Amino acid sequence: MTTPKGGCFGKVLEIDLSKHTYKAREVPDEIYQKAIGGNGLGAYFMTTEYKAHKDPLAEDAFIYVGPGPLNGTFCVSTRTSFANMSPYTGLISHAEAGAHFGNEIKWAGWDGIYIKGKSKKPVWLSIVDDKVEFRDATKIWGKDTEETHEAIMKEMKDPYARTAVIGQAGENQVPFACVIVERFRAAARSGTGMVMGNKKLKGIAVRGTQAVPVVDNMKFMDMANYAKKVAIDRECWQGVKRWGTAGLLELKNFVDGSLVTKNYQTTWYPDIVKIGAEVANRKFWKRHVACNHCPIHCLKLGVIRDGKYRGLIAEGPEYESGGLLGSNLGMTDFNAMIALIEACDAYGIDNISTGGVLGFTTELVERGILKPADLDGLKPKWGDGDTYLELIRKMAYKEGNAGKLLSKGVKKMAAEIGKGSELYAVHVKGKELAAHDPRGDKARAYSYALGSCGGDHHEGASTRALVIFAMINSLCTCSFASALIWGGENAKITVGMLNPLCGWNMTEDDYWTTGKRILTMERVFNVREGISRKDDTLPIRMRTEKLPAGPKKGNIFTEEDTKKMQDEFYSFLGWDAKGIPTDATLKAYGLEYAIDDIAAARKEYNL
Amino acid sequence: MEGKEKKMPDLFPKETTRRGFLRGTAVAAGSAVAMVTVGGLAAKTAHAQAASPAPKKELMKYLFAERENCTGCRGCEYACSVYHTGIVRPSVSRIHVMKYKDSIDVPIICWHCNDAPCVAACPTTPKSIIADPNHNGIILNEKTCLGRKCLKCQEACPAQFVWANPDTGQPLMCDMCGGDPACVKACKDQSGDPQGPCLVANKLGFGVNLAFRGVTPDQAGKDLLDLTFYPNVDGKRPTPAKTKKTRRS
Repeated sequence: MTTPKGGCFGKVLEIDLSKHTYKAREVPDEIYQKAIGGNGLGAYFMTTEYKAHKDPLAEDAFIYVGPGPLNGTFCVSTRTSFANMSPYTGLISHAEAGAHFGNEIKWAGWDGIYIKGKSKKPVWLSIVDDKVEFRDATKIWGKDTEETHEAIMKEMKDPYARTAVIGQAGENQVPFACVIVERFRAAARSGTGMVMGNKKLKGIAVRGTQAVPVVDNMKFMDMANYAKKVAIDRECWQGVKRWGTAGLLELKNFVDGSLVTKNYQTTWYPDIVKIGAEVANRKFWKRHVACNHCPIHCLKLGVIRDGKYRGLIAEGPEYESGGLLGSNLGMTDFNAMIALIEACDAYGIDNISTGGVLGFTTELVERGILKPADLDGLKPKWGDGDTYLELIRKMAYKEGNAGKLLSKGVKKMAAEIGKGSELYAVHVKGKELAAHDPRGDKARAYSYALGSCGGDHHEGASTRALVIFAMINSLCTCSFASALIWGGENAKITVGMLNPLCGWNMTEDDYWTTGKRILTMERVFNVREGISRKDDTLPIRMRTEKLPAGPKKGNIFTEEDTKKMQDEFYSFLGWDAKGIPTDATLKAYGLEYAIDDIAAARKEYNL
Repeated sequence: MEGKEKKMPDLFPKETTRRGFLRGTAVAAGSAVAMVTVGGLAAKTAHAQAASPAPKKELMKYLFAERENCTGCRGCEYACSVYHTGIVRPSVSRIHVMKYKDSIDVPIICWHCNDAPCVAACPTTPKSIIADPNHNGIILNEKTCLGRKCLKCQEACPAQFVWANPDTGQPLMCDMCGGDPACVKACKDQSGDPQGPCLVANKLGFGVNLAFRGVTPDQAGKDLLDLTFYPNVDGKRPTPAKTKKTRRS
């Protein structure tokens, strides 16, 4: 066991909310070399500490909030990862958010925060360097994320502190509740908000004044400067700089044919011009906001200038929020769409799952499977912003029949409603798809079907990209500014920064091995919960309904496509035909501890 | 921190750094303090000077922040702390970017006031901080500065710019990087379409610096919030109560 020399401190802040105590938990350098940090370290903790069929809301279930080794250094744009077992899907899950929160954890002298236990009273955590306080959150319990953030900032008495908080959805145990980082960034899709709410943890505020140690500063700065220069110079990313990801709304509709529309029925939505980036630029945007050390500043802040929401400052649209809460709900009123996005952010509820659920509900009502009587008399129809806003509120508070039903998510809704509604439930492993339709953008199917979290757009759109994204999510770098923008040099630059930073001897091959190891660790966890090849597929709609219109008209995701994708991926990672890591593979990645677990799972699920 | 760092990394393309820096070291040669702070790089650049004399470049004397251009990326903080200590550590950065009400980023800079209230407030004899006559940077004498128990300079600064070093308790003063500020270069690198750079270095202050310095970070944030989000919507700013109500309706 060795202490890390640079990049990491070798200690994770372990919080026990049951006893209101904390301690520094030592993590040796070998583990960082194996799992890097962030999502990878979370996966390592989860596979080693949890037995199969863990209750994600048990008292000793934990959330790992982890920056990676590169956070807090000169590396361009770094983020934060939240890893936990998702109460929504029952599988391993991670969510990444931008802004400065992760760096502040590093500057406070911690490699991450490991939160377990359940508090009796609502609390929030104040972490200033090595000083940790459990503060009373009774007064802010029940407030939305904006008010919570402001209340916490006021009590911190430090405008340079950074926060991650939950809203009412997390408190009320909505399984797709998210964590809102610094007011506008969401760590969503992993149900972390629900776990935090279950632990009665309203928020975390961090402030640090230390520095991250670097082993060979000259070499590190050379590579970090080069990486930054590449990020600034790459021509193709200038669009994201100018338009944010909202620019993709028009692009994916008119060119790629993969903009989800009306509960994923089609990818052709000419009305996108009424709610897309161009309208946002003309009517809404006011500022460009960057995460730390990022030259791309993709977040756009704006203010609504007319109508009943006049004066509302909000963030967006991004591609996912504009797709799911825009085209997927048939919205044509830009301001109403922004109100939906802002409502989700305020209640702390996942934009993507919410959009999926609302779209699904609307289609069921349209087809007569659901009646307004089942929805407290509400009748959602495409483009009806007011009804959607009310439904979002009901979901966040689990209020009435509609709130209770919709907050279950499409998989459980379909099981409960029956009457053929499964055909219209678009989810993978229980999680709604994001805004890239895999019929138009076939590469995205890798991310949805093969990614560890299920239905997630942020896990890489090819076999190799899945491995790269496993590294991105563990290093907590940004898929725009500090990863994909480096293109083919990704492994070279990452290794070139990590070695002088941490004093490691990683080769480019090790980069790939580490990525594969992290993916395999996550897979081990999921296999224990019964996941195998049969689950690595797309929803029925993507496999049976041809795209009715748009640039990719007639496209469908065939069984051959699925088979090819699965075979390619499994063999690249050294898993068997059923999608289970073999014993030899586990040994090769140094995951011997999982061999027994896998053997038990094979027996249990007959694989 | 300075003692530990034997070598300084090059933060910017080599020619720029050296040219800018040579100017800085030539000027600061008389000042032992500056030599301690930047000793490593000064020694390194001495060779470059002997090999190829850099063309003459004028020293900058004033900083200016085009506040509405700030995206809050903190590239300036990174550059400042790397320039002064070799590694990234915003808590010892001279410049800071403050978030105001979640939606506005306020860069807080030293305006390099011609009358330098910080220097005037320094109680030691001789003064522990002096304004360099050539590039207007405030140079700190770490040996004589009283540190945490004094910090009269911090109180005197009308722009609330001065922070104390969390290790030594001494004030963190903007030394203009010897006339070629690292933050300005970093800001220029990071910016681009559609947002121009926020930080600018100037030879002249035009007196604007004196006018700007009285604006505290909080006031600047409030002004920017109004200017950015509520400029000309029929001349009225919606009341906060109304904003709240619309969200929940």
